[in-house]
Amino acid sequence: MKKTINIPLGSQHISLLEPVRFKFECENEKIISVDSDVGFVHRGIERACTTKFKFDAIGYVVARVCGLCAITHSLSYTAAIEKLLGGEITKKAKYLRILLLELDRVHSHMLCLSHTCENAGFEAMFMRIMGDRELVMEIQELLTGNRVQFDYINIGGVNRDISSEVAQKIVNNLYEVKQRVLGYMDEFTNNWSLSLKFKTIGALSLDDAYRLNAIGPLARASGLNIDVRNEIGYLPFSEVGFVMQTHSEGDINARNIVRLNEILNSILMCENILSGLPEGEIFTKLKGKPNGEAVVRFEAPRGELMYYVKGNGSAMLDRVRIKTPTFASIPAFSHIFVGENYADAPAILASFDPCLSCTAK
Amino acid sequence: MKKIKVSLESVRDEIKSFYDYKQWHLLTLNGLALAENKMEVQWIFSKYEAMDEIVVYYTEIENTETIPSIVDMIPSAIISQREIVDMFGVKVDGSEKGLYLDEDSMQRPLSGCSI
Amino acid sequence: MFDLKKYRKKSPWILHYNAGSCNGCDIEILASLSPKYDLERFGVINTGNPKQSDIFLVTGPVTYRSRERLVELYTQMPEPKVVIAVGSCTCTGGVFRDMYNVEDGIDRYIPVDVYIAGCAASPELIIDGIVKALEILEQKSKEMEKPHKLFREATSEGGIVNRRHSALKVGEIDEEN
Ligand code: SF4
Repeated sequence: MKKTINIPLGSQHISLLEPVRFKFECENEKIISVDSDVGFVHRGIERACTTKFKFDAIGYVVARVCGLCAITHSLSYTAAIEKLLGGEITKKAKYLRILLLELDRVHSHMLCLSHTCENAGFEAMFMRIMGDRELVMEIQELLTGNRVQFDYINIGGVNRDISSEVAQKIVNNLYEVKQRVLGYMDEFTNNWSLSLKFKTIGALSLDDAYRLNAIGPLARASGLNIDVRNEIGYLPFSEVGFVMQTHSEGDINARNIVRLNEILNSILMCENILSGLPEGEIFTKLKGKPNGEAVVRFEAPRGELMYYVKGNGSAMLDRVRIKTPTFASIPAFSHIFVGENYADAPAILASFDPCLSCTAK
Repeated sequence: MKKIKVSLESVRDEIKSFYDYKQWHLLTLNGLALAENKMEVQWIFSKYEAMDEIVVYYTEIENTETIPSIVDMIPSAIISQREIVDMFGVKVDGSEKGLYLDEDSMQRPLSGCSI
Repeated sequence: MFDLKKYRKKSPWILHYNAGSCNGCDIEILASLSPKYDLERFGVINTGNPKQSDIFLVTGPVTYRSRERLVELYTQMPEPKVVIAVGSCTCTGGVFRDMYNVEDGIDRYIPVDVYIAGCAASPELIIDGIVKALEILEQKSKEMEKPHKLFREATSEGGIVNRRHSALKVGEIDEEN
C-alpha cells in the first residue's frame, strides 16, 4: 500500500529567518514533491520606485529590499543610473565600493554558514561563527556608520571617506577573521559528525545546474563557472585579486567549502584594496536626468543580481526591474529537495542561503 | 545589450533556435507598461563567462493577448512568468495567479492603468 | 509547588516573527542573541513555538499575506505576553509606508507594548527593549494574579495601561455620551 503524507514547513518555523512556506509531500522519510509559497514578504517596492520616489532617493529605498545584500542593491541601482547619466566616478570611490561589497559578502557568508550549522544541530558552531562575525560588523560600522543598512553608496561616489586609523583597524580585524575562518575550514572538512549531515546531502549535478539556470554559490559548488564579478568591467575586480571559487560535488558540504573559500578570497581583496588605495576625491557630481534603458548585473552574496532601469528624462523613472538571486534559484531549490529525507530539509534549505525578502520585494 | 524585436507568434521558435543551455542563461522576463492597454515583454538572456553579453528579445502586445510559455525549454522561467501574470494582469500559458498578490491587494500594480 | 511567576521572570522565551521586513532587523536580533551582545544572559531563549513564548518580537510592516499569521501567533501565545515592535518599519511603516501591499505598522493588528526605533535597530536598542519588556511582563503577571473586578480601580499602576482597564474606558465613554 502506498501512502503519502503532507508536511508543511513554515511560514513561521524556528529554522527559518523569514516567512516562506514549503509543503513537502513525503513517502515515509523521502520527499517526493515540493510546493512553495514565497509571496509572504511582497511589499511593492518596484511600483513605489516609479510612483513615490525620485531617482536620486531610490538608491536608499532599494537597499531596503534586503538587509543582507543591501549594498549590492544600492550599488546595482546606482551603477545603472551612472550608466544612463554617462559620468565616470573616481578610482578611489570604485575601490571603496568594492571594499564594502566584499566586507558585506564576508559577513553574509558567515551568517549563512552559522545558520547551516544550527539547522544541522550544531549549536556551538553557530555561536562561534556568530561571535566572530561581530569582528566584521564592527569594521562595517566604523567604515559606514551603521551596522546593517549602510546607505554608503551615492550616485557619483560614496558618502564617507576612510581614515588611516579605520583602515588599520580593518586590516587588523580581517587578519583575525582570516585565522578564525581557517579554523572553520578544518572543522567543516574534518568533523565527522558534520560530514554525516553535509556530505552527499542535497546534491545538484552540473547538468542540472545548467538546465535550471542555477546561480551563485549554489551553481559554483556544482562546478558551473558563473560569477558576475568575472563578467563585468564596471568595477575593477580582477585588479584587486579576484579568483573564482568552484567545487565539483554540489552537495551541502561543497557549498560550505565554496563559501569559506570565497570569504578568504574576499579578505584578500580587501587587504589588496587597503594597501593600494588611490588618492583622490570620493565623490563626483553627475548632472542631468536618466534617459534610456540600462541592464546592470552584480554578484550579490547569493548570486547574480540584475537591475533593469528605464528613465524618460525626468526625475521619475519609467521602470525599475529587480531580479534577485533567490528568485531565479527557486526552481533549482525545488528540484534539489526531491528525493531527500525530510529530516534534512532545514539544513538543505539553510545551505541555499535563501533570501525571501529579496525574492518577493 | 543587444535588443531583438520578435513577434508574439514567433517568440518561441526564436528562443528555441537561440537558446543553448550550456552557453546562455535566462536572467528574467521583464514587463514594461507602454500605454493604457499595451505592454512590452522582454526575455533577457546573458552569456556564461563573457564580458557583459546580454541579449534581449522583446515584443509589444495588447494586455488581452496570451503570452506563450517557455517553461518546457527553460524550466527556471516559471517563476518569472508567474510574476508577470501578477504584476501586469496578462495571461501566460500555464501560469496561475497568486504568487505575490492576495484578493484584496491592488491588482495589476505595474500595468499602465491602475486598478 | 511551581512558582511560575518566578520562572517567567528569570527565563522569558522569545518568539520571533518576520512580517515582511527586509531582514536587517532580523539579523540584528540574531546578533543580539550571539556571544558579543549575549541576550541569553537574561535567560532569554529563542523558541519557534508560540505556545511556550512570553515575548513576541515582530519585525516588518505587515504585508497582506502575513496578517493572518501574525494575529494567529499572537492569539496562540499564553497570557501574560508582551509584544515588541523592532525597527522603524514595524512601528510606523518606515520606508514602506503607503506601498500597496503593506499595512503601516503592526499596531493596526495587535497591541504593542514596546517600540524600538531605528533602521536597522541596533542590538543595544534591542537589548534595552527586551529589558523594558521584562518589567512590563512582571507587571502584567501581577495584574493577572488580582481577582477580576468589574469596576475600574482608581489608581492606574506604574503608568502601564492594563488592557482590562482600557476596555472599561471605552464603556465609560459610551455611558457619558
Ligand atoms: S526597520 Fe529598516 S532595517 Fe529594520 S526591517 Fe525595517 S527596513 Fe529593514
